[in-house]
Amino acid sequence: MPLLNAQNLRKTYRLGRVDVPVLRGVGLSVEPGECVAILGASGSGKSTLLHLLGALDRPDARENRSNSQHELGPTISFDGRELAGAPARVLDHYRRFDVGFVFQFYHLLPELTVVENVTIGGMVAHGRVGYRRQRHAIESYAKELLDRVGLGHRLEHRPAELSGGERQRVAIARALINRPRLLLADEPTGNLDRVTGAKTLDLFSELHRLGQTTIIVTHDEATAARAQRVVRIQDGVLV
Amino acid sequence: MPLLASLAVMLCTGMVLVVWSVMGGFLSHLVNSGRSLIGDVSVEVPYTGFAHYDELQARLKALPDVEATAPVVSTQGLLVLPNGSKELVLIRGIEGESFAKVTAYRDSVWWKPITSPLRKDPKGEDPRLSEAANAFYSAVSQNGISLTVPVEGGKRDPAAVPGIEVGGFNKREKQGFYSPLYGHGWRQRQFESDRPSPTPVIMPLTGKVTLHVLPMDSSGRVLDAVSRSFPVANEFHTGVYEVDRKSVFVELGAIQSMLMMDKGLRVTTPPPAGTVVTDTKGNEAFPRPQVVGEDPARVTTVYVRAKGTSVDAEALKGRIETVVQQFTTDFPDAARGGRFYVSTWRDSNRTMISAVEKETGMVLILFSLISITAVFLVLAIFWSMVAEKTKDMGILRALGASRSGVAWVWIRYGLAIGIVGSLAGFGLAYLIVTNINDIHDWIGRTFNMYVWDPKVYYFNEIPAKLRWVDAGIVVASGVISSGLGALIPAMRAARMDPVRAIRFE
Repeated sequence: MPLLNAQNLRKTYRLGRVDVPVLRGVGLSVEPGECVAILGASGSGKSTLLHLLGALDRPDARENRSNSQHELGPTISFDGRELAGAPARVLDHYRRFDVGFVFQFYHLLPELTVVENVTIGGMVAHGRVGYRRQRHAIESYAKELLDRVGLGHRLEHRPAELSGGERQRVAIARALINRPRLLLADEPTGNLDRVTGAKTLDLFSELHRLGQTTIIVTHDEATAARAQRVVRIQDGVLV
Repeated sequence: MPLLASLAVMLCTGMVLVVWSVMGGFLSHLVNSGRSLIGDVSVEVPYTGFAHYDELQARLKALPDVEATAPVVSTQGLLVLPNGSKELVLIRGIEGESFAKVTAYRDSVWWKPITSPLRKDPKGEDPRLSEAANAFYSAVSQNGISLTVPVEGGKRDPAAVPGIEVGGFNKREKQGFYSPLYGHGWRQRQFESDRPSPTPVIMPLTGKVTLHVLPMDSSGRVLDAVSRSFPVANEFHTGVYEVDRKSVFVELGAIQSMLMMDKGLRVTTPPPAGTVVTDTKGNEAFPRPQVVGEDPARVTTVYVRAKGTSVDAEALKGRIETVVQQFTTDFPDAARGGRFYVSTWRDSNRTMISAVEKETGMVLILFSLISITAVFLVLAIFWSMVAEKTKDMGILRALGASRSGVAWVWIRYGLAIGIVGSLAGFGLAYLIVTNINDIHDWIGRTFNMYVWDPKVYYFNEIPAKLRWVDAGIVVASGVISSGLGALIPAMRAARMDPVRAIRFE
């Protein structure tokens, strides 16, 4: 059974009075332990697809009713659980425990130290009381993750004191803090130089080797080539 | 920005608390001063007074919650001061000992030896601290309490105890004590010297005042004015400016005598002038009025003090009314047609107290309305902070934070700012309230601006009192207001689309 199975995903944004369709009925299935790259040009809808798969956004219920009333509604099934029409608390839980995000621009919290940026994922997941109870374990695991990404010596630094590659490695450690079964990466090397980007991709490969299911969105053929499987997206549909 | 929000909350809570403390302190001081001036309840027949007051006092003292009673004669009179100036004053004839049991009279006698200086007098410049004058102050202190002065032959003459502000013979120093003034015309005349004495001479040492009063006969008709000079035994200070400025205490027996309220004989109406009668021995003589009875002494008022401080004055008043009712039944002619009034200090000053209560309420409402600006300030600051932290909100949402979780972060932040600001406001208010008179004096000295003029504001000092209950209410309101101010920005943060938030730059 696939870990993630998404079908009939559509998304249209409204810009002023104009409807701009971004996804036009996308379907994707990812097996456990698989590393899939979604390759597409800028504006092809790949990031939007990633946001839908990560429950950061919801797919449109169905396309324009007058044209295609017969079409099926969207489904996003994770480990057999349906997410497309699920209530917000189910999606929040999914983002907390089942999925980890890595963004192109890292999105670290500038006021927090490296280790705090990683443990905050644990704090959000377990709540203040739960975090206090498991603080030691969460912090130990955060340090272990940071060790694994080569930042064990920079625990107390602020993001502003780190290089781009280091920041992205902190973001990867943060994404993994709650041991998610699915890792979603949106242009993880898009903001890095070639060498640093390659090192970051090595890290993803290492994770994949350890059995981490990963979906990487990228516009870069070389980055996509590091994945186990590549799907191409163009004008809102997989080709 | 959070510092700015905390500062706004601090200023608002501090301001409300200071205003509440000053107004509440004023009200509390006003009500409490009544107890120190007239006890808890007074029984009064104005002007003409009532007889058998010893009997009434005995019955009142029999009540379980009555501590003490004191007979008093209250009347208006003209006071002629040693320098010839005249003032209309409230004269109260009292027995020092009994009056001191009902009121704080013993403490209010000003010229007495003291061992430690007043709060504002760290240098100890108060003349009453003088060890050399200790014997003198001890003697005049006793004179003040007994309202008598010693004369030749071991006897004691009745004396007067005017308020410390009467006549303006004493200068109130900024340290809080009084200095007898130099160079007044009255003193120069007394010493027949053009040069002022190098040492001040206080009223109890040399002063004499003359009182002019209008007595009434038993039917209430006003008789010819009666005048009498009294040596000044001491001066009193209650802290209530109006009382200290316009009241004089006199020994009870003396004022009863002046007002013809002392014990006397009742006689028949004399026959017309020129009438001649023949006595038993056959001699012709002018007829003498026949003694037909005795008129007991009268007082206008009996002050009553309750036992302890927990007795409800209103309840005590009710019980005293019952006693007075029985008394008037048993002694129908005690008041000679006059009417008994039983009242608490609050009753006697109801107009003023209720005005102050209303003013307190109004001022609090006004300042609370002003303080609502703190809510909007917190709202504006948080609105801007939420905008600044949009991306961070998106990150938290991506990490799985719920909408309510994000909102709660901001509300907690607002509450934290409220707690810090309100507690700081409480600290500020505490500092101001506990040092309000020093601050006022400093402003006066530095900017020559005296807001609290005792001639206008009844009390000599600003009677601020910080109550813990009030402080609790204001601090809690500050915290809640800050939470409310953060609520709308928190809802905005919660409603934020995480995808747009993450893309926000």
